[in-house]
Amino acid sequence: MVTSTSLVNPSVLAPFGVVATGSLVVLLLEVLVGKRQSFLGRPVTREFVGTLLSGVSSIFLFIALIVAAQFFATMPGRIVFDPAHPMVAMDRLTAFATILVCIGSIFTCWLASTYLDELRIHHGEFYALLLLASSGMVLLVQSVDLVTLFMGIELMSIPIYALAGFARRDLRSNESALKYFLVGSFTSAILLYGMALLYGATGSTDFVQIRQAFDASNLLAIAGLGLLVVGFAFKVAAVPFHQWAPDVYEGAPTAVTSYMAVAVKVSAFVALLRIAIQAFGPMDARLSDLFWVLSAASIVVGNVMAVIQENVKRMLAYSSIANAGYILIGLAVGTEEAYAAVLFFLLVYLFMNVGAFAVVITLATGGKDRDRYEDYAGLSRTRPTLAALLTLFVVAQAGLPGTGGFIAKFILFSAALKQGFVWLPVIAILGSAVSFYYYLRLPVLMYTRDPEGAAPRMETSTGEGLVLCTCAVAVLLLGLFPAAGPGFLSHFRALEWVRETVALLG
Amino acid sequence: MVVPLEHVIGLSAILFTIGTVGALTRRNLVVILMSIELMLNAVNLSLVGFSRAFGEVDGHVFVLMVITVAAAEVAVGLGIVISLFRNRDSVNVEDVSLLKW
Repeated sequence: MVTSTSLVNPSVLAPFGVVATGSLVVLLLEVLVGKRQSFLGRPVTREFVGTLLSGVSSIFLFIALIVAAQFFATMPGRIVFDPAHPMVAMDRLTAFATILVCIGSIFTCWLASTYLDELRIHHGEFYALLLLASSGMVLLVQSVDLVTLFMGIELMSIPIYALAGFARRDLRSNESALKYFLVGSFTSAILLYGMALLYGATGSTDFVQIRQAFDASNLLAIAGLGLLVVGFAFKVAAVPFHQWAPDVYEGAPTAVTSYMAVAVKVSAFVALLRIAIQAFGPMDARLSDLFWVLSAASIVVGNVMAVIQENVKRMLAYSSIANAGYILIGLAVGTEEAYAAVLFFLLVYLFMNVGAFAVVITLATGGKDRDRYEDYAGLSRTRPTLAALLTLFVVAQAGLPGTGGFIAKFILFSAALKQGFVWLPVIAILGSAVSFYYYLRLPVLMYTRDPEGAAPRMETSTGEGLVLCTCAVAVLLLGLFPAAGPGFLSHFRALEWVRETVALLG
Repeated sequence: MVVPLEHVIGLSAILFTIGTVGALTRRNLVVILMSIELMLNAVNLSLVGFSRAFGEVDGHVFVLMVITVAAAEVAVGLGIVISLFRNRDSVNVEDVSLLKW
């Protein structure tokens, strides 16, 4: 992989291309296979088409993952699409984020196959939309220019509006899609206005040139930066721009909810990280104050509101707002160590959040989700393994030692303390203490109460089983890994390549 | 006669504000969609204005992208509104209130 100096370098777009091609192939395959009586010697039923498309989509995502991993392992530095106009770049940060996005999307494919059957909404478009959204995320995490950034955000969001309303006959799904669409497109307009003002103030859409031309005394530039940050705060559901999240998460089909909570958040945060480092390095202090406020508000509101919820999906929505707050701590602190801690947090967050949603998905039966707290009473008798796994995932989110959640929070908070930020970790630790109440309510219900109401689904499909096992193993491995602290971080090597990335950005 | 940049930016800011107020206060979903389109087009206007002032094409290219994206967005949005209308016989946002707190 030689960095070319004059030629356009299309290999940068390889992961994006694979995922985007996958979405078109899936779309065609559904039309071609769906009309036939039998395919590959099997009768064509709705379930068969669903499983086939889910398999094909995960193959494409897996190829993209391998390509990204290849970049990650062999990358000497950073390659851009066209040295004169970078537009999209590939470095370790991008490769890492692409891997996370691909893992999240593969999990969604595996989970969706049985879940959509249970809800009787199995249509092939689901996978095409999913892959399109994933390709948008890949574009988003590798963009180094406002134009590609905007394209990435929209390519990610528009398919997800449709996915949120995928249960067309379900009023709550309709409502979820509508709210997500209205808030999302309103946000996009705000974000875009911010980009236009930045372009006007700096005369360029390229991150590096924006950084060079950025003048903090120019009102236009400050307004543009503010609108850009507000737009991203909406996308990651940080308080006070979070009101849409619980409604949308509750109403959307759970497989889509888990995708929104994980993949969207991961890619939006990585893009925000890149903007903060690459485009607004000189603005550090003021930007840091902004992130400080967003972070503290998200932690407090997210944790407090999660306590009073009666619906598990809504509770997980508020907990994901609180998690966004923790991640924003890293952006507020703004050291290399904090950025590395953010990336590690995102990695752990992916597994523990998908895991928790996977349990909710595995219980869905008879066309309905089982997402109220009462539905979990006595689960340890009817589905002991699932009860144990759900306990593991919520305990990890609460941050109990021995799980990945603890290590992630620990290195994040210690990076903040090291930089002299005292109040943020204090708020975050108090918030985590509150979170024990609502997270541990689930295990208490599952293990101390008798089962009531309708029985849950009794069988777990292969895909669901795979996701649950992978997430559980990952949460435990990331938690039981050698001692926590700086030694651990260097083992993870995140610090090294974050430093590398930051050095390349200037 | 050349229109000065300030006028273009001013007009764009006024249009954007009208769009924002419309999107936040109107109750009819189709009107909200139109308001959001107005916001996007206000941004396009300022992008073109800046681009012309700099004598570059970057902004113009950006505008073409935005127009494409806005078309895709409004197509999906209208689809969502239609599926909602089929289930509810209403396009008023105040009727959309199943999910709260």
